[in-house]
Amino acid sequence: MLIAWNYRYRNSLIDRIDPRARFIFSFAVLLAATSTWNPLLLAIIFSIAVLWYASAKLSWQDTKRGWLMISILLFTMIVVNTIITGGGAGGVVPVGGQLVWPAGFNLFGRHMTFGLTVERLWFAVAQLMRILSISLVFIMIPYTMDSRAYGVTFRKLGLPDRLAYTMELSFRFIPTLARNFQVTLDAQRARGFELDSAKGGLLNKVKRIAPLIIPVTMNAIVSSEDIANAMDLRGFGQQKRTWLYELKYHWWDYVVIGFSVLLLGVILYLAYGRGMRLFEVPLWWYGLFN
Amino acid sequence: MPELQAPPLVIRDLGFRYNSRRTPAIEDINLQLEPGQVVLLAGSSGCGKTTLMRCVNGLIPHTYHGYMQGEIELYGKSVKGMGLSDISRHVGTLLQDPERQILGTYVINEVCFGLESLGMPREEMIPKAEKALERLHILHLRDKETHYTSGGEKQKVALAGVLAMEPSILLLDEPLASLDPASAREALLAFRELANEGLSILLVEHRVEDVLQINPEKVVYMDNGRVTYEGDVAGLLETADYTRIKLPAPTVMRRAKGTPRKECRLAVPALDPTSEPLVSFQDVSFRYKADYPEVLHGINLDVRAGEVIAILGHNGSGKTTTVKQALGLLKPTSGRVLLEGVDTKKTTVANAARTIGYVFQSPSQMLFAPTVREELAFGPENLGMSKEMVTENVDWAIETVHLEQELPTPPLALSFGQQKRVSIASVLSMKSRILMMDEPTAGQDYWNYQSFMDTILQTPGFDAILFITHDLDLALTFANRVVVLYGGQVVADGSLHDVFADDEQLRRWRLLPTSLLDLNRKMYSRTGQFLRAETLSQLAG
Repeated sequence: MLIAWNYRYRNSLIDRIDPRARFIFSFAVLLAATSTWNPLLLAIIFSIAVLWYASAKLSWQDTKRGWLMISILLFTMIVVNTIITGGGAGGVVPVGGQLVWPAGFNLFGRHMTFGLTVERLWFAVAQLMRILSISLVFIMIPYTMDSRAYGVTFRKLGLPDRLAYTMELSFRFIPTLARNFQVTLDAQRARGFELDSAKGGLLNKVKRIAPLIIPVTMNAIVSSEDIANAMDLRGFGQQKRTWLYELKYHWWDYVVIGFSVLLLGVILYLAYGRGMRLFEVPLWWYGLFN
Repeated sequence: MPELQAPPLVIRDLGFRYNSRRTPAIEDINLQLEPGQVVLLAGSSGCGKTTLMRCVNGLIPHTYHGYMQGEIELYGKSVKGMGLSDISRHVGTLLQDPERQILGTYVINEVCFGLESLGMPREEMIPKAEKALERLHILHLRDKETHYTSGGEKQKVALAGVLAMEPSILLLDEPLASLDPASAREALLAFRELANEGLSILLVEHRVEDVLQINPEKVVYMDNGRVTYEGDVAGLLETADYTRIKLPAPTVMRRAKGTPRKECRLAVPALDPTSEPLVSFQDVSFRYKADYPEVLHGINLDVRAGEVIAILGHNGSGKTTTVKQALGLLKPTSGRVLLEGVDTKKTTVANAARTIGYVFQSPSQMLFAPTVREELAFGPENLGMSKEMVTENVDWAIETVHLEQELPTPPLALSFGQQKRVSIASVLSMKSRILMMDEPTAGQDYWNYQSFMDTILQTPGFDAILFITHDLDLALTFANRVVVLYGGQVVADGSLHDVFADDEQLRRWRLLPTSLLDLNRKMYSRTGQFLRAETLSQLAG
């Protein structure tokens, strides 16, 4: 059985906003954040995303798993890619620039040089603001949206019935997968399997986790057949569908949608019409390294 | 409408072969269903019951493809050319496992799903859904999340979802499989009520004895894809093989007279009540998360060498949660569990697995290896056994579940019943001191589970065996001690004779007395122990 995310009503500002308006806002932030590298614009978008997130009254306890996943992603993209290896910044950050440690530094008594530039470091900050803005508005969705509302929200946003319901099922697939993974892990631990014993090279590691990955994957395939059968047996997809869950716009939803359109419009205008799209480093940032 | 006078369902000379198979799954099936009838369809695993149901509800040929012969008519109209949604207006299907059928996250949404698919306006669907819930006496669940309903409730919610579409024919595929005895009885009574209101019901079930309580109008017995008996209940009781399907104990006792006596000698060592317990639950309470309600309350339980313990209890009584504590998969919120004297909080699950072999309920959650042999070797290898030992254990385990010929087969290519036996064998091969099984008979037919339970209990090697079950007869045939859980507490713990003494008490625990229990109690003064019907028949002389 597909289970739902751990949603509960928190009587927050977000709880009162129509899910359609919330999706429109979230996509506006996504598009706005990905259309510019300008420090000022990114800071504005980031601040709006922080306010939006704060209005959901989510606790750390609720969301820590999601943030853990995002932290892993951020660490790989920003610390490993941009700062250490210097990859990922190609085409955006100009080659050359001011070194953070022009004279090198001493580590464990040895003199080291490291080609990190002030520009690349700012790029890391800009990238962080960008990804966090997007994460802030999207990570809250499963925790703040009633599980019954997904399908009808996507439908009313213009997707066809089938796709809208498929989207609803996909949202529920993630927590279901997590639960099944836990059951399989328990079943294999009961057979003496230990996850931390996955030593050796990559191939060996993959081989060691096969007892977890294979049952979880096979279960997902088999249960998707069950779901398809259960839907077919109740006439799904044969004709135009109606939805039990009702969505109603209020005046404040129009305000949110209006604001979203305005935000995106202004950012796009400034980015493409006023040349504020490209990467630049604020002057005060250089000051920190002189 | 003239076609409404024709019988709801007529099947003529039906045969079907799946594209992937060489032999037909069903052949020459002829069947008719009248309004208000309950027809029981019985047969062992793989006899073709599921294929027959798929032909009727349209999944064949719409989802499963193959070669089909014969004719199916709904109210005189051939189903050929009908779409799934046309068929679903007449035929409602309740799948074996409600977990696999429920789509909605809330009860009311689940019940409305079919109506939404039919494009019904909201104002019309809500009263219809509420009526369906009311019909099954579960209107109080209307706004509950489906995930948080009990097994019995899920079954009824799934059924309400089918009934809301107002079908005139109901197909029920082993609807009792996951229910405790009281929930199973409630479900059966609900089916009877629906038939009395005019629905035609085709009920596929292994638990023949249970279904007889609601007096099915007709019984069909299938074997190897063909109908081998069609007629009234009395005829089935005389002709059906009582080792293949579960018939009432008095019938078995009468028919088994004169057959050689079958003994099951327990291979566990003799019980010594003064010995140190292998597992000791000391005032164990448990909740899944700090802000969740407590699910186990002050459990005290010792497991000693020589015991074969059946754990009984209603759906959601905490049976699995309790057993998982023994292995350390869950740790007590308060109190402690000692495994061979060591607190489970101070040891790893992998270490505990040397003492306890635990078979999970669902085989599909653990099978992964390319062959059955490798699957069975996984546990003993993790425990660091030598190659010779692993081979020896694997061979013994596979013999125990009668699947020797499947050693080179990929486990995932086997049928559900066979997968379940492989999952049991893959734990047997670890030769742990204690064997714990969660619903070992779920999804198995009667002959198979009787036979492997016999073998497991008669094989030396285990100091103690513990199994969770809903089946009272399984407990009284194989166990020497019974523990009953109710609402997360141990409410009874003792010998079969003591725990099963009072019918009223059993009913309060949602366990119902069976005909085998009645017979055993009547003959107890002569037998001094609880026995299966065949053995009682010999003793009755």
